[in-house]
Amino acid sequence: MIKQYFLAAKNTWDETFVYRLNFSIWRIRTVISLLITYFLWLALLGNGSFIFGYTKAQMITYILGTAFIGNLVLSSRSATIGDEINTGDLSNYLIKPMNYFTYWFFRDLGDKAMNMSFALIEFFLIFILLKPDFYLQPNIIYVVLFVIALLISITILFFLNVLVSLLAFWVDEVWPLRFIFFIIIQFFAGSLFPLDILPKPLFLIFSSLPFPYLLYFPMKIYLGNENWQGILVGFLISVIWIFLLIKFTNFLWEIGLRKYSAQGR
Amino acid sequence: MKKYLKIWWILTIASAQNNFSSRFGAFILIFGKIIRFLFFFFFLIIIGSRVSKIGGYSLNQLILFFLTFQLIDTLPQFFMRAVYRFRQYIVTGDFDYFLISPFPALFRGLFGETDPLDIPMIVGTIIFIIIFINKAFTVSYFNIFLYIIFIFNALLIAASFHIAVLALGIVTTEIDNAIMLYRDTTQMGRIPVDIYKEPLRGLITFIIPVGIMMTVPAKVLLGIAPFTIIIISFLIAAIFLSLSLFFWKRALRFYSSASS
Repeated sequence: MIKQYFLAAKNTWDETFVYRLNFSIWRIRTVISLLITYFLWLALLGNGSFIFGYTKAQMITYILGTAFIGNLVLSSRSATIGDEINTGDLSNYLIKPMNYFTYWFFRDLGDKAMNMSFALIEFFLIFILLKPDFYLQPNIIYVVLFVIALLISITILFFLNVLVSLLAFWVDEVWPLRFIFFIIIQFFAGSLFPLDILPKPLFLIFSSLPFPYLLYFPMKIYLGNENWQGILVGFLISVIWIFLLIKFTNFLWEIGLRKYSAQGR
Repeated sequence: MKKYLKIWWILTIASAQNNFSSRFGAFILIFGKIIRFLFFFFFLIIIGSRVSKIGGYSLNQLILFFLTFQLIDTLPQFFMRAVYRFRQYIVTGDFDYFLISPFPALFRGLFGETDPLDIPMIVGTIIFIIIFINKAFTVSYFNIFLYIIFIFNALLIAASFHIAVLALGIVTTEIDNAIMLYRDTTQMGRIPVDIYKEPLRGLITFIIPVGIMMTVPAKVLLGIAPFTIIIISFLIAAIFLSLSLFFWKRALRFYSSASS
């Protein structure tokens, strides 16, 4: 049974290689975005060795780290669910003996594996060319917790993506919603700056949302400047969010299917 | 000129009707553009309130650079949104209709689908710039005049890139992301390009002239642009426009009218 899902992941690879030039340009765009943020922070740091409570190495590691794990966490194909609902293509899947969400989760994994493979090469080149001041975490416990936080963030993003896509049961065009969703994710996940440089009350509000657990929280664990209590609370909130997102996804899926009319088929 | 304005107006009305066929979508898109602007603005405020100078620039100067970027980034999107959908016309063979129209195919490819959803951002940014310049700086009318001239110069360079993307769309139908690559690269102009280190700074000033487009106009307004860069700016715009038009004419020979 699991074999068919792995085939779905493999199909994502094959699809990507059909449009090689497009994918290459997508990767160049990703690198450019990273360089903008990296050089901006280099300018902010100037000759100083500390900024907003971070050492230079920690800040550079945070910026490069969020960009790197962004390839794993944020890359996704499940946005297509919305189009499939709008075009009626969802019907093709409903009659097949497989779980629709598991299928898309594996498609996502295929996309993440593809993006990570390229990201590894890109970062290797960036490290050779720019020789950034990167902090390597020596404590294995932090590294293990960082990996666990990444697995949680992948799950959170998947269900957030699915939720936005499921709104296609009620609206004709879901891509404007995706546009706004992407902007919110980029800002609130902490890809531009570490969220704890914000004023404390604002940071506390942000921390109660699911977005900081996508990039900010894993990177804080990696850097080792989150205390044990903070790590525990972070894991607790993110797991609660996964639980809520699963519940809400199932709820929307059930009432959405009742409304679904296979329009467009 | 009058004929082109009339055609543009007719195409723009059609485009507006198309855009507002889904009012919900239109509202969400406008809202998205506004919050994207506000998020980066907020980021600048947060940074500027805690660091006195960034790369030698004050917070007010950085805000001016960002507002200028915002205007120069949005205006081409407003006028030349058709470029984003051009590939579809090539792949389906619908570009044939452009070629048999009684006005140049390039005009239709560039200005055929003006995007009314950018109007709120353009108007808002212009008002913001006027108020901000009034409050934060003392500048002469001559500098303001030069600022406007250099914004037009930047729009010429932007148009050159858009023409090049159209040509690329004809030559290689695989390109979907080319225009977004241009957009991403110009994002570097959200802050003055002098802040970046070499060789990147040189690259985005002369090879991909993001600096000429986004940084020079604001520098001219503040009276801190060297005279040589002013001359170079016009030269670069002329070179880029000539090259892109040449590329466009060559690319037309590759069009095969597939699927039509």
